[in-house]
Order: sequence, then structure tokens, then C-alpha cells
Amino acid sequence: MINLSDSAKKCLDKYLQQVRTYLRGCRTVDADEVERNVIEHIESEFESATAAISFEELDAVLQRLGSPRQWIPEEELPWWRKVIFRLRTGPEDWRLAYISFGLLIAGFVILPSFIVLIPASFIVARAALSETEDPGQLKAQRWLIYPSLIIVYLVSLCFFLGLPLLGLIPLAYDLEHTIRASYKIGDDTPYWLAVCSVFAGSLGLWWLIHGIVFLARLNIPKVLFRPFADWFSRKWAFVLLLIGLVLMIPSLGVGIWYVL
Amino acid sequence: MENRFFDNWSTQLRKGMLELCILNAIRGTSLYGYDIVRKLRSIEGLVISEGTIYPILSRLKREGFVQTTITESTEGPPRKYYELTAKGEKILNEMNDYWQDIKTGTDALKRKEKS
Repeated sequence: MINLSDSAKKCLDKYLQQVRTYLRGCRTVDADEVERNVIEHIESEFESATAAISFEELDAVLQRLGSPRQWIPEEELPWWRKVIFRLRTGPEDWRLAYISFGLLIAGFVILPSFIVLIPASFIVARAALSETEDPGQLKAQRWLIYPSLIIVYLVSLCFFLGLPLLGLIPLAYDLEHTIRASYKIGDDTPYWLAVCSVFAGSLGLWWLIHGIVFLARLNIPKVLFRPFADWFSRKWAFVLLLIGLVLMIPSLGVGIWYVL
Repeated sequence: MENRFFDNWSTQLRKGMLELCILNAIRGTSLYGYDIVRKLRSIEGLVISEGTIYPILSRLKREGFVQTTITESTEGPPRKYYELTAKGEKILNEMNDYWQDIKTGTDALKRKEKS
């Protein structure tokens, strides 16, 4: 048994704790046996020591032994340790991918918290995406990053495309009465046509504006919906603009018909 | 960039080589853990962190390639000595042959490059 100074003893205890932590759950290795070997190794190093071993002397030996984290190949670790290992030491993009997926799962499991956790998962997923120059190189990380991206993008897309409807639907009843009062429309006139034409007109105007904006700044949808909107080109901005026009023209026609 | 490439490559190479060297170190003899480390220390660049050897010994024991015997020591507490089993002897022969083939092949490539 070697004689260690207090600081050296604390240092050794901490090191052996690390050995146990990193070897725990590894089925190919007997963690107790390795720990005994490490103690034997240290005892052999100081076999001829006469005085108490100082922290510096012990630290030099532990430096040569190296961090227990490096002792086991990653493929031999159990799956849960691989996850922890990657979260703690893996490349930033992998860590972020795991965190993003973890937040998403937590968002579904702890239901009321999804309002916070899913956007948080989305932000981390975007950060992971920013770490990669080419999203095509993401490989397996896609399975961790894409779920939260897809969820948030789909919600955002529905919101973005139908924003005027979201604003007008609660006002539909008032709108109908305003139209009827303004243009003195009789009871036999289909009011729904007027309301629908207002909806279609505002939706058309909304899409038309966006078509024009996207024609001028093609990178806006690409950046907003990265990496799924790389295909977006002038052609598609023009299609959006045309759909907007197509929706607007008949609604304008209906409006004119009512006024006249 | 070049350094990182070399580090990755040498780490991969060491992983397999360490097992081969440990088995060769205890061939025909029995050594205790620290003695094995001391033997392997002398091979330049092979052992970066000495602690790596102990999990490998544990794994080789679990695979049945090595066995241990506890022997009383005059210099301190009883020591655990490692020695090859028949199964270990067999796998070591295969590993040495395999390594020899690779070494012969790479040497031939190097000679061709020089000529």
C-alpha cells in the first residue's frame, strides 16, 4: 500500500471514480478488474518511494495512464453511454442534433411544455444545420434534426400562406353585414359570394406581394425554410405571383358586380 | 488539417496493433499488468495513454485469449499474472501471419516507390 499525501489521495479517488464512470455498462470489459489493475499500476510506479507521494508525482503517472474516456472504443459502449458521450464530447453538430431531438421528444412527452420545447428544438436544429456547410452531408444527423424542422416549417407555411384568412375569418359575420349595408344588397343575393370574394381577394393580394418580394429576393424562402427550399427559383416566385393574380381578378370582378 | 488526418490514422492503427503487441508480449511467458505496460512503452508511438492496455487485457480475458493467475510477490501485495491460453496462441498466430502479409505488402510498395 502506498503512502499518498492528502491532495494526491483526493486526486486518485477522483481518477478512480472516472475509471468506474467511463467503464460502467461496457459489456466487453470487467470494470472492477481494470480498476484493480490501475491501482496495481500506480503502486508499482511508487514501489520504491520512501516518503508520501505528492500530488505532482501522482499526477505525472495519471497523465501517462491517460483519461479513462479514451480507453474504450466508442463502438463498445452501450447505446445510452454513446448518446451521453456524443453529447459531452462529440463534434458540435452531433451534440446539437441529439439535443434538438431530445427537446422534441420531451416536447411531446411533457405536453404543456411543447410550446417552449418544440421552438427550442427547432432553434437547436437550425444551429446544427448552420454547423454544416452542405446539408447533403448530414447523413444520419438528418433523422435527429429534420423532425423538428419539418413540424415548425409546416406550421409556419400554413400560417404564412393563410395569414389573411386567419385574420378575416373571425370578422366574416361583421364583414357580411358591412357589405350588405354598404351596397344595399337584397336578401336573395348570395352573400357568401361577397364574403368569399373578399377572402380570395385578400389572399390573392397577399400571395401577389410575396411573389413580387420573392422575385426580388430569392434567398428569403431558401433561408427561411432551409434546407427544404433550395429548389425555389424565380419560376416558383412567378407561380406564386400568378396564383395571387388569379385569385384577385375574379374577386375584383365580383366586387365590381356588387357595386354596379 | 494534415495533423488531424495523421492523428486519426495513427489512432486507428494503434487500436489493432495494441492487441497484437500485448499478445506477443506475453507469448511464452507470464507477465503482470504493469510489466506489460513497461514492455510496450519501449515501442515508440504505440502507447499514448498507458491505461488503454488494461481494458484490452480485460477484454482478451473475457474472450478467453488470456488467463490470469494470482502469485504472491516479495515486493508487495499479490500480483495478477497474464498468460496466453491455447485459444490465444492460435489467434495470435493468425494475427501475426496477417500482420506479416500486410507488412510485406506495404514494404514491397515502398520499395517500388523508391526504385
